[in-house]
Amino acid sequence: MIALAAIALCSILWALLDILGAVSQNQVFGVAAFENRFNEFRKTVQPHSVYGYLSDNLPNDPSALPEFYLTQYTLAPAIVKPTTAERLVIVNFHDNKPDAKLLRANGLAQVQNFGNGVVLCRRIQR
Amino acid sequence: MMFLCLAAIWLTGFGLLRWMFPRPLGWSLHNVLLFSLGIGAGAGVVSCLYFLALVLAGPNFTVLASLTGGVAIAALALGLGTRRQGTLLAWAEGPQPPWYLRGLFLLAIALAVTTFLVAVANNPHGDEGAWSIWNLRARFLFRAGAFWRDAFSTDLSWSHPDYPLLLPGIVALCWTLAGHESTDAPIAIAFLFALGTAGVLTGVIGVLRGKTQALVGGTLLLGTAGFISLSASLYSDVPLSFYILAALALLCLQDRHPEDLRFSALAGLMAGFAAWTRNEGLIFLAALIVARVVAALRFRDRTGPAALAPQMLRLVAGMLAPLAVVMFFKLRVGGASDLWSEKPALILQHLADPGRWIILIEGLVVVFFGLGRFLIPMVLVLALYLYLVRFRVEERDRRTLAAMGIALILSIAIELVVDLAWVDNLPVEIATGFERMLLHWWPAGVLMFFLAAGPLQLAAAEKPMPKSKASKKALKPSRRPAETR
Repeated sequence: MIALAAIALCSILWALLDILGAVSQNQVFGVAAFENRFNEFRKTVQPHSVYGYLSDNLPNDPSALPEFYLTQYTLAPAIVKPTTAERLVIVNFHDNKPDAKLLRANGLAQVQNFGNGVVLCRRIQR
Repeated sequence: MMFLCLAAIWLTGFGLLRWMFPRPLGWSLHNVLLFSLGIGAGAGVVSCLYFLALVLAGPNFTVLASLTGGVAIAALALGLGTRRQGTLLAWAEGPQPPWYLRGLFLLAIALAVTTFLVAVANNPHGDEGAWSIWNLRARFLFRAGAFWRDAFSTDLSWSHPDYPLLLPGIVALCWTLAGHESTDAPIAIAFLFALGTAGVLTGVIGVLRGKTQALVGGTLLLGTAGFISLSASLYSDVPLSFYILAALALLCLQDRHPEDLRFSALAGLMAGFAAWTRNEGLIFLAALIVARVVAALRFRDRTGPAALAPQMLRLVAGMLAPLAVVMFFKLRVGGASDLWSEKPALILQHLADPGRWIILIEGLVVVFFGLGRFLIPMVLVLALYLYLVRFRVEERDRRTLAAMGIALILSIAIELVVDLAWVDNLPVEIATGFERMLLHWWPAGVLMFFLAAGPLQLAAAEKPMPKSKASKKALKPSRRPAETR
């Protein structure tokens, strides 16, 4: 009985040390930091609006999908779709300088650069 | 204001439960149990009302504030105004626990709270599933105003718009009444559900088996690193485990107090709220009814199965209101479940693939032995514990224990078949979902374990005796005729 309780206590203590270790090494996925990048754009978002989404993540980048989810989480109540077929498209660059080649390749023209790699584009009719 | 809203939710639950099981106010096991159950009861009632108000009147602050305040005041007035005396829930007879067990229990509370607080301070939005599903939905409900139904748009099918609304509803209500968004609301709700689960488990083991086993059971749950981490992830898994535990615990109390049918009604209500928390709750609800009927037929007493009809009626009656809300949500508001979009041929192909069965069984075994993230596999420790203290199920607890076991096996079996048939990438599902699936049942499993285990022999609780053959014999576990092992 004492052993049962002791194992449980040691396990939760171990978990606490694990979390403290992660904190000290700053290993947490930064939701707040990601949201801060979109602060300026978020102020312009209206409910019931729909945006497309594009990023400069590489095709096999494991953070591509979480970043799309985070963009939706940040910009709710607007709806963000993982497509460039919408009239307005949010582009998530990991560099402050927008990649004009990527925009052209996807048939997009810049409407406004909100800084921190967040660019609003419109779809060019082709 | 946010914490006032949470207090109103909690007091709604407490008032409702005090009305059902009135006893004088004060520090007692009865009131601790009511306070713990009150967290889930209040959250369930208020979130159902929030959803109905949203459908009928939209996200109107005045309506929502009046509703939340009015329900809390009404429930408290009912609870405090009642004059009758209900069934008393008191500690089962047994030896007083030694000081070190109380110390270990308090240490477990302190460590669990610290771990939770450090984890949420470090990750206040919770893990990916929390912000991409539950808190995303809450943001839509809070931010979208008249367009709150956008939360269930088919464009958001990746975020499972068919998932029920207990958790996002409560979070959105807190934000609406506070007038601003903060991670404090989901964090506080997660904390309350974890606290409530520990309170219900410790309290019910205390009623059924005594103080000593209650303290050990409480320490075991609070020391379950996986459970505390899951709570800090801000998912809806811990609320579901609360409702599963609460429903089963109340049925245990029903079998101890067959004359008071309120236990069955409240168990039904809790099972209904489980269905309003996650889709797995619907599976649990169906499994619970089947398990209760099968156990009643297998372990029928002198009164016969007909005597159980009033209990079953109340159990089902308790489920009806939340189930009606779930059905309305599923049919009229929530998006379509992704289960329906799968082609039957692919489902059959999945089921007929022996490789998938092997992956599933292997994954289940690995997750089972690592369950709870203990330093050593807890299932082995518990098996050793059972070997030492023996199974000793009292006659009156057999039907309850059988119902719990059947509900557990049936629920997990159905969930595994759903995974086997519908999930494309099984290894990912095993890595991300299996531990959570088993943790839904962990608090109820701990209750079942202590209900099945024989009474503890505490050396410190007995008078010191000289080491003799007689004393050695007394400490050795013995098989009695009543043992089922």
